Amino acid sequence: MFKFLSLRRPINMLIIANIIAFGLLYFYKKPYDKLVLVEGLAVTALICVSYFLIIKKNMGDEYLFLVVAMLASLGVLMIYRLDQELGFKQIMWLVAGIVLFFLSFYFYTKIKFLEKLMLYYFAASILLFIATLIIGSNINGSTNWIRIAGYSFQPSELIKILFVMTIACFFKNSEQFIFKTKTLNLKWKLNNKEFKNKIAFFLIVYSYIGFLVLQKEWGTALLLFLIFFMILYAFEDDIKLLLLNGAAAVSGALVGCFFVYHIKIRVAMWLNPWADAAGKGYQITQSLFAIGAGGFFGSGIGMGKPNLIPEVKTDFIFSAICEETGIFGGIAVILLYFILVYRGFKITLYTKDLFKKLVALGITLMFGFQTFIIIGGVIKLIPLTGITLPFISYGGSSLTSGFIALGILQALSKESYLGEEVIENAAE
Amino acid sequence: MQRNNKIIHLLIVMSVIFFSLMAYLTYIQLFTSKKTETSSYNRRQWLKEDDTKRGEIYDRNGVILAKSSKVKGKWERNYPYGSLYSHIIGYNSEIYGRSLIEEKFNKYLLNINELSSVIGLNGNLLNSKKVGNNIYLTIDNNLQKLASDLMGSKNGAIVVMNPKTGGILAMVSKPGFDPNNQALVNKWKELVDSEDSPFLPRATQGLYAPGSTFKIAVTASALENGMDGLTFDDKGVVTIDGKVFSNSKKKAYGRVNLEKALTVSSNVAFSQIGVKLGENNIKNIASKIGMGQVIPFDLPVSKSVFPYGSMGKTDMAAVAIGQGKMMVTPLHMAMIASSIANNGIMMKPIMVSRIVNAGGKEIKKWGPEELRNVMPADIATKVKNMMLKVVSNGTGKSAAINGINVAGKTGTAENEVVGKEHAWFVGFAPAENPQVAVAVIVEYSGSSGGSVSAPIAGRLMEAYLRGSRR
Repeated sequence: MFKFLSLRRPINMLIIANIIAFGLLYFYKKPYDKLVLVEGLAVTALICVSYFLIIKKNMGDEYLFLVVAMLASLGVLMIYRLDQELGFKQIMWLVAGIVLFFLSFYFYTKIKFLEKLMLYYFAASILLFIATLIIGSNINGSTNWIRIAGYSFQPSELIKILFVMTIACFFKNSEQFIFKTKTLNLKWKLNNKEFKNKIAFFLIVYSYIGFLVLQKEWGTALLLFLIFFMILYAFEDDIKLLLLNGAAAVSGALVGCFFVYHIKIRVAMWLNPWADAAGKGYQITQSLFAIGAGGFFGSGIGMGKPNLIPEVKTDFIFSAICEETGIFGGIAVILLYFILVYRGFKITLYTKDLFKKLVALGITLMFGFQTFIIIGGVIKLIPLTGITLPFISYGGSSLTSGFIALGILQALSKESYLGEEVIENAAE
Repeated sequence: MQRNNKIIHLLIVMSVIFFSLMAYLTYIQLFTSKKTETSSYNRRQWLKEDDTKRGEIYDRNGVILAKSSKVKGKWERNYPYGSLYSHIIGYNSEIYGRSLIEEKFNKYLLNINELSSVIGLNGNLLNSKKVGNNIYLTIDNNLQKLASDLMGSKNGAIVVMNPKTGGILAMVSKPGFDPNNQALVNKWKELVDSEDSPFLPRATQGLYAPGSTFKIAVTASALENGMDGLTFDDKGVVTIDGKVFSNSKKKAYGRVNLEKALTVSSNVAFSQIGVKLGENNIKNIASKIGMGQVIPFDLPVSKSVFPYGSMGKTDMAAVAIGQGKMMVTPLHMAMIASSIANNGIMMKPIMVSRIVNAGGKEIKKWGPEELRNVMPADIATKVKNMMLKVVSNGTGKSAAINGINVAGKTGTAENEVVGKEHAWFVGFAPAENPQVAVAVIVEYSGSSGGSVSAPIAGRLMEAYLRGSRR
């Protein structure tokens, strides 16, 4: 019994944190809502069952899921505290996400030809993009949602994963790419075949980013560029190409800063939000007020006024966490993401196969940079671009696609661990 | 393996950006959260205010100067003395934000701190009433009223302080405004557009040329540099480097020594003293009295300005008679007079003396604090004796009080309107054991400090000394 409660096992820490958090949430408002306890219990039980499944079935890295489960519990807790109805929906999405996690794990380990599908990933992404542009609905100034049968779905969340797969395919096997694109690029008078391939590859990458810019999804565009640029740094030996891409991005960003109204405003509000605190700087100043109000230890969950922040359930949920749990809570969240990223890097480093290595790195970078872009944005370290906080923000698309990516990473971890064992055995 | 090395570089990049997030979060919490917390755009404080009774503000004798009462279920601030404290307490309005004491001591008045957010948890659960802390000022309400009445409808400022403790006894800036909420709403536009700048707390943020009152500092420097025995032939006018310096009405005083020069406020003598002292000594005394330096106070104070790089002879002469480019606040002038009264030691000015919680327990208290040593005690005594002469048979006669020895110095400060000079008087009493120091400035009076400001100072010191003996 006491062994069960020991803090040595991280799962127990998670259970205790959830018991305390949901318990406090129960007492926070009269009349006491028993549903809170039921839901807390359900979430915790679901996490425990999934965790033991991962251990029993030998599914690789056991910390990935634990870290994400902690983040997702915190997300459910905060969203429930902000809006009961949405909190309930988020729990449903969490259940769906965990199911998708196992499905994605299963399919990824079973399907062996994923590295040969580059053009299919690209084609699927383009289809999603075009569909968004044609039948997409406008929510908060960006046309990036598709509404199907009452459910809104954000294609860019899925496109991020497809983008990582596209990049991984290119580096793994440029031959398939040459074969497939030979017919497309006949018009070009370039002699160097390899160079021609790279140009075509860059065009593909920038068409992703171009579509996102068309949809005014600056945050995701920045995220994809960062993933691409980092992978290029690690896997492209020609430093000139790297510099060329860097220069292109910097000039693109500068043009954006001076000529694109939306970006101009974001940069101006980053430099001095107080100039128009009641208008364009409203979001960021309200976010800073919330963080300031929380102090170091926070007002306590349920005791702050995070509802004053606009978009608090999605983009600005980190500000709400800081207000109610203080910046110690905020730093704890950042550290959890860091552990996730660190485990991702570990898996990347141990993976031998180039394609798998790239997928693992891509997903890890995706989690890491997405976290940085949104947290940096809401604390005014960098200009604010609307993007969700992985696993915490409210939203089905964000949560489920996050779990799909995590499922892939989990599958990769299993193989990288097997590789590790082989090395260890060989050493013996 | 080279690939893995590069991947490790990426891990380092990740570590750096995650660390920067944590560092920046800590930074904004440590250095900007205070500013954001009191920002008038922050609706949190008003929400807190809705259920917290804002603390009361009292004068030194317990007279209520600001209190909150419940109107239609909401706390509303009211100020029983109207405009009398508009430049000390300020205002507290949901629409216009807050200012001065209401702003600076907001945390105490609403009882916000890290600890209370933990204790407040209980408070909220038990649904108990929240009450802020009460603030006691060093102000004497009767003296404040008298100062305001004496200034009447003229524009200007009065600072009355205890030279030994630095406690401010009265501080009037005119024109003021009614800080009560309804009055603010009705008059806001008119107040903002007014050319008299009624929102400027002149006593603490108004900058004026010190005029001849600055001669007390120059006298101290002259004494320190052994010029006691120096005499000048005052012909009413003197030309220095081609620039003419003349006495008031070009009056000639003949041969004058330092004491006589101060008593009659001879510009001819002091302009020459300035040149004799030279750049270093002048800059030295300016820095000793705190020109250009921050004055720590419970209200925002403008820094007095002394914008000289290298000084020519005409600059030295102009500074020595209190003209030229330098500017002082009335509070600073009162502090300089106080330092002469207090054996050369300048005290830190105090407005808020203590903070008491709703249960009557004192939670914070501020006592006298030395700010800087302006001059040696023996020099201060010599200057004081000369200032006694100014009031007994010089330009400051109308500040004299029957039976009490008053020391002082008049001043007439030139400004952008010719023939409409500001009238100054600084002084203290009783000279043998100073209890009260005063600085008075009446804007654009068009007459001398001796005839306009000295009588106000005299009446105030008398009222305070006779009142405190009672």
